[in-house]
Amino acid sequence: MDTKTLGNKEVYRFSLIERISHGVHGVAFIVLLFTGLGVLLTGFQPAMKILGGIEVTRNIHRIGGAVAVVLVVVGFVLEPKFRGWITSSFKFGKDDFAYVKNFPVEFFGGHAPFPPQGKFNGGEKMNIALMFISCVIIAITGFIIWFPAVFPQWLVQWSYPAHSGFVLLLAAVFLMHFYLGVLHPDSNQALKGIFFGWVPAKFAREHYEEWFDEVAEEEPEKIKVVS
Amino acid sequence: MTKKMVFVDTSLCTGCRACSVACKAWNELPAEKNKLITSYQSQKGTTPKTWTYVSFHEKYENGKMKWLMFKHQCYHCEDPSCMKACSSKAISKTKSGYTVVDYDKCIGCGYCVANCPWGVPKVDKTTNKVRKCTGCIDRVENGLEPACVSTCQPGALSFGDRDQMLKKAKDRLAEVKKTHPKANLYGDQIMGGTTYLYLLLDDPDVYGVPASPAAPVSLTLWKDIIHPLGGIAAGVAGAAIVLGVVANAVRGNYSKRLEDNAGVESHIDGEGR
Repeated sequence: MDTKTLGNKEVYRFSLIERISHGVHGVAFIVLLFTGLGVLLTGFQPAMKILGGIEVTRNIHRIGGAVAVVLVVVGFVLEPKFRGWITSSFKFGKDDFAYVKNFPVEFFGGHAPFPPQGKFNGGEKMNIALMFISCVIIAITGFIIWFPAVFPQWLVQWSYPAHSGFVLLLAAVFLMHFYLGVLHPDSNQALKGIFFGWVPAKFAREHYEEWFDEVAEEEPEKIKVVS
Repeated sequence: MTKKMVFVDTSLCTGCRACSVACKAWNELPAEKNKLITSYQSQKGTTPKTWTYVSFHEKYENGKMKWLMFKHQCYHCEDPSCMKACSSKAISKTKSGYTVVDYDKCIGCGYCVANCPWGVPKVDKTTNKVRKCTGCIDRVENGLEPACVSTCQPGALSFGDRDQMLKKAKDRLAEVKKTHPKANLYGDQIMGGTTYLYLLLDDPDVYGVPASPAAPVSLTLWKDIIHPLGGIAAGVAGAAIVLGVVANAVRGNYSKRLEDNAGVESHIDGEGR
């Protein structure tokens, strides 16, 4: 496809359920990180007062965590595509490695060539895979920590480092995700897409050539002209 | 205050459980309904309302029964796992050697409960605070003996300066070894040295306590490796973002994007990548 004609077009990248799921996940992540930080860092405990103290914060963290798990599972049931993405994110190919290799150049605002990418590029696949593994572990260990009397002591003991270790990992990933989605002048063109579904077609073609060409061929109604 | 020690000479214990009663009386802990566990033992473990209890062990050797007793309570380790596990800095060591909980700081998370090698501390569900033997720190720091020690009739419990008590324990061990060759001291070599030191007539596992308790590997991994590494990871991510924004600004990528957006209608970009 010719990129010259794409300047005034947009492509539909994220469905409503995808966007809602991302929102639920994002809000839950921030709420749970904030309400959990008081336990991770003693110095952060005074901040819990704005929520009504540590007792209230604990309840928000536990119930919020349970609600988030349920909502994410509902999202999975409603949007069958999720499953495919998760499994495809664990299939890391030559093109994905090539993308990741050149990613640091992009990160700091340069341009480096990379092979055509599918709906999610190598970096995003890493993000999805890490998110998926970490969230499963965090949810399970969180449940164990919530009811320590029900589980064997060694399991409770190992749940503490697992819970906070994967949270810290995700906190670093989250910072990166925020930068790329909001602050990075090239990749933040996708920000619009996660709220409204449509992203600039030129951006999509440049970053996800394989996916874009597939959409153009199979679902041309998902590409529209904007004034 | 110098380091204190309680010497528990199990060879003199008669299993009367007056220590349990005295503890409840002094610390104003209500009685609890309990049932027979084994032998004469009526308490399975410590609870938020029972900080000390005696376990009974019947051992048969050459047709003779050995009746062994062990007074359980917080050991007041010099290097306590509970203190390391506490996320609220609510547990601390006193100069006198006691491991004490600050109820104002405690949030009842239960991390200490899972990490104590003996499972001593317990979270009180009503107040959401962890409760365990205080070692009668309030009495000790005012020149009194702990309640359990002051009530012990057969003299199985004695209290004093650590050095003095350690010497007494060693003398007593030499004496008891003549009749009980398996006798040993339990406490001075573990967890940095405990404030409650035991003279046992048999191996620790006969009494149902771990022979060489140590901080769980998961606790070391958690506090000494994962937390510092996680802090570094978050710091590196933060620094990379600042650098990324600066690099993009220096390369003029932000102003380029603004121009692109403004000019999207008039000049349809034909440059590609």
